[in-house]
Amino acid sequence: MNPRVLLIEDDPRIRRFLRASLPTQGYELLEAGTGHEGLSLAASQVPDIILLDLGLPDMEGIEVIRRLREWSQTPIIILSARGQERDKVVNLDAGADDYLTKPFGVGELLARIRAALRRTGAGEEDKGADIFTLDKLRVDFDRRQVFRGEVEIHLTPIEYKLLSVLIRHQGKVVTHRQLLKEVWGPSSMEQHPYLRIFILNLRRKLEDDPTRPHYLITEPGVGYRLRGE
Amino acid sequence: MDNQPSADAARRPSPRPEAQPPEAHGRLLACLDSSPAAGQLVRTAARLAEAARVEWFAVYVETPDDHPTLEGQERIAKTLRLAAQLGGQTVMLSGFSRRDAILDFVREQGVAKIVLGQVSRPVWRRWFSVSLADQLRRRAKDVDFYLMAAGFQEPHPRSVPRRDAWLLVRDYGLAATGVGLCTGLAMILFPYLALTNLVMIYLLTVVLIAAVLDQGPSILASLVGVAVFAYCFVPQYYSFSLANTEYAITLAVMLIVSILISRLTSRIRYQASAASQQERQTAALYDMSRNLTTKLSLAELLPEAIEQISRTFDSQVAILMPDGAGKLHLSAGKAFPDDYGSEMLVANWVYRYGHFAGLGTKTLPKARGFYLPLRPSQELIGVLRLEPAHPHKMIALRSLRFLEALASQVALAIEREHLHQQTHQTQVQIEAERLRNALLSSVSHDLRTPLTVIAGSASSLLEGENSLDSSTKAELTQTIYDEANRLDRLVHNLLEMSRLQSGQTKLNREWHVMEEVVGCALAQLEPQLQDRPVVIQLPADLPLVRIDALLMERVFINLLENAIKYTPEQTPVTISGWITQQELLLEVADRGPGLVPGDEELVFEKFYQAGSGGARGVGLGLTICRSIIEAHGGHIWAANRPGGGATFRFTLPLDEGAPLLDKTLPELQKGHLDESPRAAH
Repeated sequence: MNPRVLLIEDDPRIRRFLRASLPTQGYELLEAGTGHEGLSLAASQVPDIILLDLGLPDMEGIEVIRRLREWSQTPIIILSARGQERDKVVNLDAGADDYLTKPFGVGELLARIRAALRRTGAGEEDKGADIFTLDKLRVDFDRRQVFRGEVEIHLTPIEYKLLSVLIRHQGKVVTHRQLLKEVWGPSSMEQHPYLRIFILNLRRKLEDDPTRPHYLITEPGVGYRLRGE
Repeated sequence: MDNQPSADAARRPSPRPEAQPPEAHGRLLACLDSSPAAGQLVRTAARLAEAARVEWFAVYVETPDDHPTLEGQERIAKTLRLAAQLGGQTVMLSGFSRRDAILDFVREQGVAKIVLGQVSRPVWRRWFSVSLADQLRRRAKDVDFYLMAAGFQEPHPRSVPRRDAWLLVRDYGLAATGVGLCTGLAMILFPYLALTNLVMIYLLTVVLIAAVLDQGPSILASLVGVAVFAYCFVPQYYSFSLANTEYAITLAVMLIVSILISRLTSRIRYQASAASQQERQTAALYDMSRNLTTKLSLAELLPEAIEQISRTFDSQVAILMPDGAGKLHLSAGKAFPDDYGSEMLVANWVYRYGHFAGLGTKTLPKARGFYLPLRPSQELIGVLRLEPAHPHKMIALRSLRFLEALASQVALAIEREHLHQQTHQTQVQIEAERLRNALLSSVSHDLRTPLTVIAGSASSLLEGENSLDSSTKAELTQTIYDEANRLDRLVHNLLEMSRLQSGQTKLNREWHVMEEVVGCALAQLEPQLQDRPVVIQLPADLPLVRIDALLMERVFINLLENAIKYTPEQTPVTISGWITQQELLLEVADRGPGLVPGDEELVFEKFYQAGSGGARGVGLGLTICRSIIEAHGGHIWAANRPGGGATFRFTLPLDEGAPLLDKTLPELQKGHLDESPRAAH
C-alpha cells in the first residue's frame, strides 16, 4: 500500500505543485487548506506523514502540532519560509520532526519524507541492528567502536554519545536543545557553544574536510542533521 | 525731586532720526507704567499709530525710586510683549526721573504724540506736586498728548522691596558708626583745626558713607553729622544753642551740602551699577548667542543654555519640552524636587497659556520654581524653569527682561535646531526616495531577466511537448530550476538589505565556531561552486567568536558568490583567517581579474556593479556584507592581491570570555557517562 501523505497548506499553487509530483512518486496525497480541516483529516484518514505549512489562515502551526501530538506520533514535516529560524526551532521542540525551507525541490522533499518514514518503520523492524553504516562511517554499538573506512577512530564518551543520538535521528534535524538534553541532560539545554565545540571535534575526527562536512550537516540557526542516505 | 536726564543710550532702539523716512517725524510714544490698564494704553497707542501710519514706541522708564512688585514687573513685561506683538518698538529706559528720560527720548526720536495714563489723585496732592502729564506738557509744547483716564495709579514710591530688616539695621548702624568715628577724629583734631576744616571732615564722612551705602543711611549720616557737629563743636559747646547767628549759616550750608553730596553720590552709584549690569548682561547675551550658534544638536545646546542661565541667575535651571503627544517632559537640566506633580502643574499651565507663573508671581505662587514660556515665534516650544538658590531674592524687572532675552535666545536656538532636523529629515527622505527608485529600476531588471528565462523555458516545454528531445527538455527544466534559485537568492538579499537598513535586524549573537559558519556557506553554494577549488586556511585553535551566525554566513555567501560571479571557472578561491591583537581577520581571496584600481571603496556602494562582464546581480551583496560586519563592530575592505586577483578582508572583534575549545562541560558529564552507550541507541 502506498504511504499516505497529508498536506496542510492554504496556498493552492503549492498544493497543485505537490499534487503533480507526489502521486507520481508512489505516495497517496490528502489535501487540507486549513488547520481544522487538516486535524480532522489526520484523525479520519490516519496518514503516514504530515506536511504542515506554518502560515495557515485559521490557526498557528504550533497549535496544529500540539493538538496532533496529543494523540498521534505521525511524523510532521514543517514547510516554512527562510528567516524563520526561531519559529522552526520552536515548532521542532514542540514535536515536529523535520522542516523544509521554501522554496524547496521535490528531491529534497522526497528525501525528508523517506527519512521520516524509515524512522517510524525502524522503530518496529530494525531494533536489533548493532552495526550502523553510512558511506565510509561504521559504528559498532556492541563493541562501542567507530570506524572511518578501515581505521578505528577514538571518540570520547561524550562524542560517542552525541554521535549515537544523531544516528538514532538519522536524516532528521535535531535541534540544539534536543541534542543537549539527550546527551548532557535537561539542565544543560542552553549550552549551545559547548555543543558547537563538540560537533567541531567530532567533525575533525570523522570528516575528510571538516569545513565541508559530509556526515554532520549544520542546519543554520536550528541544529544538526546526520546525512540520511 | 531733582531730576537728571540719564536715559541709557545703549537701550535705545537703533533707528536714527535722519535715517528714517518722513513718517518717522510723526512718531508716537506710549508711556507705560505697571498699572493694570497699561494694556489698554498700548492698544490705544497701536490704533492711533495705525490710523496715522506712523511708527510707535512703548516706553517704560525704570527709576531708582520705582520698585514695582513682581506682579507689576510681570505686567510690564506682558505689556511690552503686547506692544511688540502690535507692531510697536519696545524700549526700556533707566533714569532718575520719568519726565526727563521721556523728554530726552521724545527729542531724540522726533516723537510727535504721547499717549499716557492720567493718574487720578486726591485733590490735596495736586497742590503739592504736578502730575507727570502736566510736567511733560509744560516742557514739550509741540507734542500732542493723549491722556487716558481709567484705572491708572500713581507709582508707589513707598513700595520699597522687602529688604532684609537686618540689612537695613546694619546699614543705618554703619552710618551711625561712621559719624561716631568721625566725631572721635574731630575731637582729637579739634585743638588744631579751624571750625570750617572740621566741617570738611564731616562732609568727607558723608561722601564715604554715600559711596558705600544707600541713600537713606547717608542722609541719616548727614543729619546726625550736622546735629553732632552743632552740639559738640559749635559754641556753645555741648549745647544746641548757638553763640553766634553766623554759625546758623555754617550749619545750614553744611546740612544742604552734605545732603546734596549724599544724593549725588548715590545717584552716581546707581548709574555705575546700572551701566555695569548692562555691560554684564550684554556680555552674557553675546556669550549665549555665540555659544548656542556653535552647538549643532539639542543634546549639546540645552545643557549649554542651562549652564549659562543658572550661572547668571544663581539658580537651578531646567528646560521642559513637549513630546510628540504634546506632553511636557524634562529635556535638560536639574531634575525636579520631590513635589514633582505640583511643579509639573505649573509648567503645564505656563505651556498652555504662555505666561509666567510660579514663584513670586500671582499665578501659582506656591511653586518652588519660576516658569517662563519659550516662544521663538507664535508657537510655544517649551518652558524654562528657574529655581533660585535664595528664594527670597526677587527677580528685579531688569533681570526679568534679561531673563526673557536669554530665554528667547534659547528658544530661537531650539527652533533653529528643530528646523535643521526637519531639513535633515527631508534630505534623508529625498535620499531614500532616490535609493528606492534606483532599487526599483535595478530590481525590476534583475527580476525580469530570470522570469523571462523561466517563462520562456516553460512555454517551450509546453509548446514542444512532442517535438523536443529528452535532453533539450532536461536542459530547459534545469534552466528553470537554476533561474528560480537565482530569484530566491535575489529576493533574500533584498529582504536582508531592507531589514538591515531599517535597523530591524537585531543581532542574535552567540558563541560560534567559525569553521562551521564557513562550512554552512559553502554547503549552500555547492551547486554554483561545482568543481571550483576552495582552499580553507583557518587556524585550528581559532577561538569561538560572538556573532550572528546566519548573518555571518550571509557575508561568506555574498563574498563567495561575488568571487564566483567575477572570476573564471576553475580559478581557486581561498578563505583564510588570522588572529591579530583583539581581532579576528578573515579573508576571501580569488585569482580573477581583480578590481579596477580606485574601485576598492565603490564596490561596497549600493547597486554598484563592476564592469559589464555579463554577470548578474543587484549589486547589493557587498553592501550587505559591510552592513553586517559593521553591525558586529568590525570593518571590511577590498584590495587587489599581489600576483593577481581580488581579496576581501574583514575584521571581527574577539570578545572576552569565549568558551575554550579544549574545555568540555565537566560538571555536565557526570552522571551521564556512566549510562551504557547502548542506551543512546
